[in-house]
Amino acid sequence: MTKTYKEINQKIKSGDAVVVTAEEMIDIVEESGSKVAAEEVDVVTTGTFGPMCSSGAFLNFGHSDPPIKFDHLWLNEVHAYHGNAAVDCYLGVTRKLDKRPYEYGGGNVIEELVSGKEIRLRGISDTTDCYPLSEVDTYITIDDLNQAILCNPRNVYQKYDVAVNSTDRTLYTYMGKLLPNFGNAHYSGSGCLNPLANDPDFETIGIGTRIFLGGGVGYIIGHGTQHNPKNGMGTLFVKGNLKQMSPEYLRGVNYEKYGTSMFCGVGIPIPILNEGIAKKTAIKDEEITTEIVDYGIPRRDRPVLGKTNYKDLKKGFININGKEIKCSSMSSLYYARKIANELKEWIEEGKFLLNHPAESLPTDTEFHPMRQTSEIEFVKDLKREAVICYHDCDIKVVAEKIINQNINHIIITDRHNKLKGIVTSFDITKAVANNEKKLNDIITKKVITTTDNEPVDVATRRMKKHEISALPVIDDKNNVVGIISAEELM
Amino acid sequence: MAIINVSIPFRLIKQIEDYSRIVNEILKHNISFNILKFSTTSSGINLLLEVPEDKTKEITETLRSNDIQVDKKGRVILDEDKCIHCGSCISLCPTDALHFTNKDKVEFYGNKCIGCLICQDACPRGAISESK
Ligand code: SF4
Ligand code: SF4
Repeated sequence: MTKTYKEINQKIKSGDAVVVTAEEMIDIVEESGSKVAAEEVDVVTTGTFGPMCSSGAFLNFGHSDPPIKFDHLWLNEVHAYHGNAAVDCYLGVTRKLDKRPYEYGGGNVIEELVSGKEIRLRGISDTTDCYPLSEVDTYITIDDLNQAILCNPRNVYQKYDVAVNSTDRTLYTYMGKLLPNFGNAHYSGSGCLNPLANDPDFETIGIGTRIFLGGGVGYIIGHGTQHNPKNGMGTLFVKGNLKQMSPEYLRGVNYEKYGTSMFCGVGIPIPILNEGIAKKTAIKDEEITTEIVDYGIPRRDRPVLGKTNYKDLKKGFININGKEIKCSSMSSLYYARKIANELKEWIEEGKFLLNHPAESLPTDTEFHPMRQTSEIEFVKDLKREAVICYHDCDIKVVAEKIINQNINHIIITDRHNKLKGIVTSFDITKAVANNEKKLNDIITKKVITTTDNEPVDVATRRMKKHEISALPVIDDKNNVVGIISAEELM
Repeated sequence: MAIINVSIPFRLIKQIEDYSRIVNEILKHNISFNILKFSTTSSGINLLLEVPEDKTKEITETLRSNDIQVDKKGRVILDEDKCIHCGSCISLCPTDALHFTNKDKVEFYGNKCIGCLICQDACPRGAISESK
């Protein structure tokens, strides 16, 4: 049996539509089968609530007197993008407050705008004959704006990687705080409640689909950037009137040592047009698999360490090589469910109708990496031969080498070229002054290292972070194969 | 590094060897830690330890299974109005003081908290703060 959008909308209008959430649909299909479920259920609601970095709002302030054409403008001191007409702008959620980058940003401004708070608008201009004003400094609320349109080029990832950290230091990433040595794991997404997981072939979700967006009504206006449905990583481009949204579902967030973003609530209704769609909306958490990825390797293709699924993730533990690791989400399952339920109520109350998409979303696009025309430099391109001393040699020998070869770092190895430590010219000076005799007492044994295939920028960042000026280059067996120092990087 | 406050009651330290046994219990995990403060009270010895963040759970569990108290004062507070129940803090908490309820809301058990502060800078909403 099949239904049409028109029939479903008739039922919604007369208050007869049967609406369930994607979680509830699982039980219905399990108990009665997809055939009966398709007959009984009219709409399945979904929801997700997580950090959605590719989000932001177009704002129009109206004209000042005399008029201004902004060249730069700031909202609560957060720089907004201005490459449009005189008093339009786009405020992106990841734009950081320059002075306090991990505390406040575009996402917070949008949350405050939607809360009705006053926002400081400051702008400057080079002035023209038609726009003579050079500066504006004023306070506005969302009611003062002509338009405030949430417009997010990439939302609602179908699923996401699970992040872990193999290194020996804490990492602060867009996947949250990751403890060293696989101390914890973070995932994102609402699993069986995720909108795209419930319509993986984009049979009902398309351009023009009316959705729950930020607590108000919004629309899908296309596929999102990086849309990659072939690999189960579809995304959506959405928009909606910010003026009718709620601060409960648009929350600015600030990640320590990473930056700022915004949680955005999205809920999508799936009309149960036929049995096939009914079956798909009964997808379970255990059927949605995802990969465990090592965020300790700062490369595009991070190593995949294993597979897991949302059922295990929601239980709070994943397994890597037999080791149990505590995991938790970065997105809120509690709010995802709340959104699915709220959308369900709207439909039950006849306030929200479904519409046939004007056009389907592509199902065959892929996500390509960046074309980089300037070559990335790797450590192996810039390293030089290391000056090496054995760990059992005399401090004097080391000191001589430093002076004769005019270098600042000596690498200490055992007789088989395995890294044992590093000594700087400063260590030697100090040792001589203190009359130290044993090399072993003055070498730094916990050495920060790099490898041949590490991009130079990554090595540089590590040096800066640890406030050191050289890194021994080692291979995977801890053999010393060179050194790279701040001088080569300049 | 995380800070934990360890109280070893006198009844566990009858002789000096007991003390080294307890410290060895920690060292067995092959980690280095700093003793920031060493003090005695009428009931026992208090140690303020600085331990690696990723080992905090192991250490806390080992000490507790040896009947040693790891601070129960609860040094963070959770501002429920700011919390969005994302869960970014949960996998970090070594004692499950922060955990999900069966409705997937985040809940904080103050009496399980050891005040290690690992969770604090992980909260994107500034909902976790050190209680004074
Ligand atoms: S709640 Fe925070 S401070 Fe308390 S034990 Fe857990 S991680 Fe440590
Ligand atoms: S990280 Fe902060 S906002 Fe997220 S659940 Fe924990 S306390 Fe709440």
